[in-house]
Amino acid sequence: MSLRDRIWYPILYMAAITLISSAIIILFGSLTRQRVQDNQLIAFERAVLGALHIGEQELSSPSAIHTAYSTLIRKPDESSAGAFRFIKDDSLIAYALPLEGPGFWAPIKGIIGILADRKTVTGIAFYEQNETPGLGGEIVKSAFTEQFKGKILSDVDPALSIVPVSVVLDEHRVHAVTGATQTSTRLAEFMNETIVAWRNRMKREE
Amino acid sequence: MVRQKTGHVILAALWGDNPVFRQILGICSALAVTNLVLNTAVMGAAVIFTTALSSLTVSILRKWTPRIVRMMVEVLIIGFYVILFDQTLKAYWPDMSRNLGPYVGLIITNCIIMGRAEAFANGNPPGLSFVDGLFSGLGYACVLLCVAIIRELLGMGTLLGMQVPFFSTPLWDRWIIMVMPPGAFFTLAIIVWIARTIQPDKEPKKKVGI
Repeated sequence: MSLRDRIWYPILYMAAITLISSAIIILFGSLTRQRVQDNQLIAFERAVLGALHIGEQELSSPSAIHTAYSTLIRKPDESSAGAFRFIKDDSLIAYALPLEGPGFWAPIKGIIGILADRKTVTGIAFYEQNETPGLGGEIVKSAFTEQFKGKILSDVDPALSIVPVSVVLDEHRVHAVTGATQTSTRLAEFMNETIVAWRNRMKREE
Repeated sequence: MVRQKTGHVILAALWGDNPVFRQILGICSALAVTNLVLNTAVMGAAVIFTTALSSLTVSILRKWTPRIVRMMVEVLIIGFYVILFDQTLKAYWPDMSRNLGPYVGLIITNCIIMGRAEAFANGNPPGLSFVDGLFSGLGYACVLLCVAIIRELLGMGTLLGMQVPFFSTPLWDRWIIMVMPPGAFFTLAIIVWIARTIQPDKEPKKKVGI
């Protein structure tokens, strides 16, 4: 009876193969873990700076992004009701409010920048989304995000509307991505919920 | 002799038995990631990497692998390479990793890879299995790229995200449906149709022979 015919051989073989391949993957994973975490952090920081329109051209390398972020952005405190703060020369310039909600396929996470007057939008940026490339995925492109710059949050709900391309724009409206109705509707919904909730909390803080 | 065999394997993988339009294998991902050429190219690279190396590994281990657990071993090996690729993307090309989302991980269930391991690597020497896997992956990637070029050009008016004469101008009314899932079905069906017209089915002839 050869080794291969023994009843325990397949079990042992399977265990050995599993052990070897898992060991390699765990080793590889631990070698790249730090990098993956750094990438996520940089993606977030890039979104915060992007929404606030801070130095877009010169901030190409991850280290430049990280340096700019750590010198200009402060963590949320009670006075900002969950929004990150953009501080320059000891005065508050703008808020970076994190947005998070369901997209068409997977959660969308982003940042909306609002000036210290709590009305003027500086911009919007997304750091996590899995919308259809070419359709909902276009929300990360500048053609969509640039529209937010300078928009005014309306006092009545909705603060900002995402309207079809056929509708005329005003200072509270931006155009949706054509063919991505679901993404636009869901984004508009959670964006407004977040903005309204944030505004209410800010009022309470005063 | 060996060279002749290798040539035959390459030709079969690219054209005669092309995994997508001859065997209609692995088309789930062919449909999902083909609306942008760049995403498709990376997906194709992932499949080539996995088919080539998993075929090689399955072939090396084939003499020691007990038959009753061979499919478990194959899935394990395929999963191993896919995870390595996925981790590498996450660490070194995070934007692309986000674009492809779950589809890199889903290569594990791509039937082309399992199909090559079962049908070829199990019974052939490592070198030839590697070539077979490599070119099966290439055959798959080529078809995917054709689909992606047509979809991105007609649906977005760009190629690799770059402007193209005529299609990127207002003269071209973008076919949004090409970027959406139905566009993939139309394009793939037309490509399969064309390929099969050029190279008709051999099967009926065989039946006459028997």
